[in-house]
Amino acid sequence: MRSETRSRTRRLETAPSEVIDRERVIRFTWQGRLFSAYAGDTIASALAAEGVQTFSRSFKYHRRRGLLCVSGDCPNCLVHVDGEPNVRACRTKVEPGMRVRAQNAWPTLDLDVMAATQLVGRFLPPGFYYKTFKRPRALWPFYEDVLRHAAGLGEVDPDREPGRFDKVYKHADVLVIGGGPAGLRAALAAAQAGAGVLLLEEHEALGGHLRYTTAEVHGHPAHDVARSLAATLSAQANVELMLNTLVFGVYDHGWFGAVQGNRLVKVRAGATVVATGAYEQPLVFENNDLPGIMLGSGVSRLLNLWRVLPGERAVVVSANPRGLQLALDLAQAGCHVTVAEMRAEPEEAPVEALRGHAVEILTGATVVRASGNGHVERVTLAHAGGATREVACDLLALSTGYLPANGLLSQAGAKPVWDEALHEFVPAGLRAGMFAAGEVAGTHTLAEVKREGTLAGLEAARFAGFGGSEADREIERLAVEVAEAQSRRSAWTPGPILAPEQKKDFICLCEDVAQADVRQSIEEGYQSMELLKRYSTIGMGPCQGKMCQMATMRLCAHHNRRPIAETGTTTARPPLRPVSMGALGGRLLEPVRYTPIHTWHVAQGAKMMNAGQWKRPEHYGDPLAEVRAVREAVGLIDVSTLGKMLLHGTQVPELLERLYTNQWRRLGVGRVRYGVMVNDEGVVMDDGVTARLNEHRFYMTTTSGGATTIYEWIEWWLQSGWQVDAGIVNVTELYAAMNLAGPRAREVMASVCSDADLSNEAFPYMTVRQATVAGAPAILMRIGFTGELSYEIHVPAGYGLHVWQALMDAGAAYGIRPFGVEAQRVLRLEKGHIIVGQDTDGLTNPFEAGLGWAVKTAKPDFLGRRALIMESEQGISKRLVGFTMPDGVLPEEGNQIVRAGQGPLGLEIVGRITSARWSPTLGKIIGLCWLPAEMALPGSHFTVRVRGKLLTGRVVETPFYDPEEARLRA
Amino acid sequence: MILLACPNCGPRNVQEFRYGGEVRQRPDLNTVTPEEWADYVYMRDNPLGVMREWWFHRAGCGLWFIAERHTKTHEIQATYAWSKGPS
Repeated sequence: MRSETRSRTRRLETAPSEVIDRERVIRFTWQGRLFSAYAGDTIASALAAEGVQTFSRSFKYHRRRGLLCVSGDCPNCLVHVDGEPNVRACRTKVEPGMRVRAQNAWPTLDLDVMAATQLVGRFLPPGFYYKTFKRPRALWPFYEDVLRHAAGLGEVDPDREPGRFDKVYKHADVLVIGGGPAGLRAALAAAQAGAGVLLLEEHEALGGHLRYTTAEVHGHPAHDVARSLAATLSAQANVELMLNTLVFGVYDHGWFGAVQGNRLVKVRAGATVVATGAYEQPLVFENNDLPGIMLGSGVSRLLNLWRVLPGERAVVVSANPRGLQLALDLAQAGCHVTVAEMRAEPEEAPVEALRGHAVEILTGATVVRASGNGHVERVTLAHAGGATREVACDLLALSTGYLPANGLLSQAGAKPVWDEALHEFVPAGLRAGMFAAGEVAGTHTLAEVKREGTLAGLEAARFAGFGGSEADREIERLAVEVAEAQSRRSAWTPGPILAPEQKKDFICLCEDVAQADVRQSIEEGYQSMELLKRYSTIGMGPCQGKMCQMATMRLCAHHNRRPIAETGTTTARPPLRPVSMGALGGRLLEPVRYTPIHTWHVAQGAKMMNAGQWKRPEHYGDPLAEVRAVREAVGLIDVSTLGKMLLHGTQVPELLERLYTNQWRRLGVGRVRYGVMVNDEGVVMDDGVTARLNEHRFYMTTTSGGATTIYEWIEWWLQSGWQVDAGIVNVTELYAAMNLAGPRAREVMASVCSDADLSNEAFPYMTVRQATVAGAPAILMRIGFTGELSYEIHVPAGYGLHVWQALMDAGAAYGIRPFGVEAQRVLRLEKGHIIVGQDTDGLTNPFEAGLGWAVKTAKPDFLGRRALIMESEQGISKRLVGFTMPDGVLPEEGNQIVRAGQGPLGLEIVGRITSARWSPTLGKIIGLCWLPAEMALPGSHFTVRVRGKLLTGRVVETPFYDPEEARLRA
Repeated sequence: MILLACPNCGPRNVQEFRYGGEVRQRPDLNTVTPEEWADYVYMRDNPLGVMREWWFHRAGCGLWFIAERHTKTHEIQATYAWSKGPS
């Protein structure tokens, strides 16, 4: 195996276009060896300057790959940097101490064992994994293991510290995407028309290709023109510029997604100019992926931005003026240059200049083959007439045409149209408010690009509401000029040249798909572009078709014997380029809701739990002791998370009658009623108690989880045509609530509340009183989730902590304990109370859940009436019942109830456990479960599967505790 | 990110709103057949075209309103409170 020989690349002398600072040297490592770079160098330019030719190994065949595009649009330079995989070396600036490694090569980049796959290439055609690795079936785990290791690109380091990610929102009248000549002109025109402009440029400086072309613009060096244009723009007050910012997605109504490093940029734009340029395309010929074969623009960038000459003997294949300009640049840098000019009649002036440098130019010529050992060493050129010529070289530059970067336009629904004269797709069907200008529109000459930019900027400004009659006239004038100029455009992209199939003539460099693979896929029936892509994986790699879409379409059209215009492209979807998950995730912001009493719980050492977004105390160390305290003395629980609604108006009872299944019209002032809410399907939605505070004021509670839903549900009914004089205010967060429960509750209450008659005669069960508790105005309700004498105390949230503290202080003499959600679950279970959403699901009707007593179908129209009537006529097929476990083993909530049947293990599932706990009050296991109606009679036994074992449960009547409700009504 | 114009508050990001489903005419419960009722409860037109749908300005004024939205292009042709009807 050969080792990497130093090629004859070198760093050139200083030039005004360079972006490196030769005063600052930075050291980094590549493959464990120390390298030097100048500040401003990318990893690629620094390595190239030192003679590195192989940067990676290709995905499938592990072929050596070198720099190709030098602009981040191809897969060849993906490397691993300081724990991060798949970093584009050509777009990443060198930082001191960077450790850069190659990917996808083992054991070394030079000696990659997996390159042997090339030898078995005929067993790995497109879609091979659909045809091979099938038998024997027992080997599937082995195949999977091998393929898993072979597939994928890059290694993730799970121990790497996640970065810091953030996001920013921008609003712009006119968004300009692309800071090249078209974009700069568009931004300037829009800003001068009065619009607020945001310009987003993908690279680190404005100017686009003007930064690295040596062509002169009106006698000035192009990079100077770029700088002065950029300076003019920066000086405009209403222009904001963002560099290193890539727009990756178009969304609705002018919403754009962009990314700048670790920051996600979300933009709302009134109008948009897309001036994103075009991707230069490589040619397809044998061994067209050898290191040393580069795009012409890539060579230009290396040469002019980083002053690296990537070879000494160059062949330039040219199909447009840029090719000839590049040849001249290379010759002036001291390279020996041969030009294969594809056009029969190239421009005279550059040809003259090249002849002055003793550059040989073959017209009507192209490259048909390259060869070399690990790097290009010679190429075969063919010219018109069929004659071929072999030329020795160490650099092959391809200035052979463009694919417009119209991904964003296509994401927005545009359907580009094939222009037969230009051999390019031009934009058509643009979304209203989006405008295209410059190379993305198929225009390559600078003067026209700038004019299109100005026109697009003015049109965008007008769309966003800026301009005036003068601007309108300018638009009219420019539109005519642009249309006229566009009709006279000459082709910068050559027509299709279908070379005969050879070996290793790659169309898709990301996935190693060659011409034969495309033909074979089409022959197998995957004929459309979409199917061809998915079957052959062409265009599915890191570059997402940027380097290969043109060639793919041409080949697809050819094999289908259809014109390119009918072949079309694949659907463009965001993101345009890979975006890190971190940038999309942003900061980890998770809202948390705290009750007013939270700090007290935490100070007491409560074990807090999440209940939706709320933090609630699960227990304070001993939930069973808390249960005992409530049953024997008195306990206090924070129920501030309950939904609370104030209903007001003259017709609130009518509203409640319609919303709930039960009767409300005769609810007197000062009384409380439990209600069940059901939807149009007859399914239980929510439950809670509602109290009548006075004639026109009601106070409704809902489950904590249902608060928002029920509020919005009721608002919807009120706002959509129920003619009732009633209004609702969601006061969930405005009131703190706590439940004081236990036989001593009245005594505790009496010591903090002196302005209400707390006797059972004056303040019985299921009534409400308004009184002062510990100095705070309170709504007091006697209701009973726990089954003991209890007061639910609602005070404005600001008093919550104070009232809680006062109750705890007053209760100390009676043995008060705070109790949490876990204790409450046991207490309510002992009374057989259901929890909507835990004991019921999305199909439960009230009859099955034992709530039939709350359903009054005799009422006129209420929500769910129709379904409930049908359900009550059909009868109940399953029931929610109480149970106990004679064997004393506690089942888990969710365990399945089974009986002999057709399923696996000879069992079928007939029900499930929804609640189960050990009851300290009763000294046994109790719970609720669903059973088929015929199995649900008290005393019946059933079988439940608990952690793989079959156990027996017995149905019992509920409530388990105090069925006469003596304690509740004390 | 759809830009939705609340009739009270003006254009806002769609994240401020909660979607409420297709606007449907509630049948007269006294005359509706079981088939018509099942259709009302479970079936939706789901058109390719302009749909009338409910939205609730959850992060704003609490208005339930109707939007006429093209389901393919997301063009919002009108938004109005139920009581106001299409204008």
